[in-house]
Amino acid sequence: MTAILTIARRELASMFRLPVGWVVVALFLVLTASVVALSIQPGAPASLRGFFTISAWLLMPVAPAVSMRLLAEEHRTGTDEVLLTSPVSALGVVLGKFLGAWLFLVCMLVPTLVYPVLLFAISDPAPDLGPMVSGYLLLLLQGTLYLAIGTAVSSMTSNQTLAYLATLFPILALLLAGSLATQSLPELLRPVHEAAQIGRRGSDFARGIIDTGHVVFFVAVSAWCLALAHASLEWRRWR
Amino acid sequence: MILVREIRKSFARVRAVRGISFTVEPGEIVGLLGPNGAGKSTTMRIITGFLRPDEGSVEIDGHDTHSDSLAARRRIGYLPESAPLYPEMSVAGYLDHRARLFGMDRAARGRAIGTAMERCHIAEVARRRVGQLSKGYRQRVGLAASMLHDPPVLILDEPSNGLDPSQIRQTRSLVRELAEDRTMIVSSHILPEVERLATRLVVIAGGQVRADGQLDDLLAKHGTRQIVIEIEPEPGRERSSSTGNVMGLLRSIAGVTEVTTAHTPDGWLAVTLSVDPSTSDPRPEIARRLASSGHTLRELREARPTLERVFVDLVESPALEGVATA
Repeated sequence: MTAILTIARRELASMFRLPVGWVVVALFLVLTASVVALSIQPGAPASLRGFFTISAWLLMPVAPAVSMRLLAEEHRTGTDEVLLTSPVSALGVVLGKFLGAWLFLVCMLVPTLVYPVLLFAISDPAPDLGPMVSGYLLLLLQGTLYLAIGTAVSSMTSNQTLAYLATLFPILALLLAGSLATQSLPELLRPVHEAAQIGRRGSDFARGIIDTGHVVFFVAVSAWCLALAHASLEWRRWR
Repeated sequence: MILVREIRKSFARVRAVRGISFTVEPGEIVGLLGPNGAGKSTTMRIITGFLRPDEGSVEIDGHDTHSDSLAARRRIGYLPESAPLYPEMSVAGYLDHRARLFGMDRAARGRAIGTAMERCHIAEVARRRVGQLSKGYRQRVGLAASMLHDPPVLILDEPSNGLDPSQIRQTRSLVRELAEDRTMIVSSHILPEVERLATRLVVIAGGQVRADGQLDDLLAKHGTRQIVIEIEPEPGRERSSSTGNVMGLLRSIAGVTEVTTAHTPDGWLAVTLSVDPSTSDPRPEIARRLASSGHTLRELREARPTLERVFVDLVESPALEGVATA
């Protein structure tokens, strides 16, 4: 556990040591703040629906930008040789890397808590708390899933650009899965397609509904992606 | 103690390591020698557990690097070729990170980092970013990181690679210092480097061990025995005729396999004889023959075979299926 936290700590710190980390956080905050500011209308009910919608879409380019260097950079520079000969298991390396990226996501979301505080301060009647809580939970779950996909992809290449693009496409496929008619698919793929529609799951969260099934889906697929990253690192030892 | 048993490793169709075995006893410094692409780095990566062998096994102090991998890795300090580091971290921050990976507590980390920085002479760059350091400093930071947890086994892959002569000297003295109470494998293709550091040499070529033994044993077993003679030119005779006469005389001596000649700047004939190592010392006979034919000698000595010559002979010899030892 100490080794996992050590790797996560380094990963998080390195994101803030590089300009790209600050640029990502700044862009995210500027864009979401603009959306929140524009969505506040006199006389209209206060809500963060616009913020959650734009944030869910912003995660699509942001998460691969965060995850692309996790393991690909280690492979490219050869530092994986030092890391994987330390007394840390390959699973520990994957979890540490993922945790570091996930904490970066949390650091990116924490300043946005000022938006609900602001709404509660200026809005009368007070906004509905339920959709806000479920909205933040959805952002965390989506971020977790995207970062896990990115970690898996990053473990398979030493090229960061390739890692970025190869992470972006599955995320895009998940987001757009809902626009594809299930009936047009072979019967074998229909249950997978049904399950993969994260847009449908997101609409439940937007209404303030926290369905355990949805939570389990995000956690289980993320865990599967991390297991894939672990297998990929182990495979590198045998390659 | 390091026990390497019949390890084999292929990458696609390339057989990088083809049945390498050797043992390194506690306190021994083994120099892993071989040309580029010989399989040295692959062998080291297998020993450290970074790569799994297709066949064979490695034990570090009785811990298998595959089945008991974490325990084995705790006993190893490893400096990979070109010392890969995180460029955005400070030197002190990087060493602290490495010490944490080995589970050291705050007090132990502070002591270990202080000692490592002092021994590797990097205290003056402790606050600098690794990416801003010269190659020599980066190599020393890598060395410092490899010794933080005071490992009983150190594995250094080309520790002086890319360094200038002064940095090589500093690195060599540091490595020698580190080796005092450790088992160590040092790889290099720079022969004088290994010759000065190692107590035993393992020569690898084509993914196989070509020779394994102490330097003197290797030189005695694999080195060609040579005799160097300097003879005064015969007055009144042409140089070519005189040389031919001497060469004929020396070739007739039992055990002499090859005669090469040259002339010194002051005109004396310098002759180098290659001698069959199984024959007795031919120098008395050489002296007698040359004296009886009226030649004047100013030098007659046996030349010590060089590691370079032995190395070239070993790596250029055809690939072996078995393992050669001294």
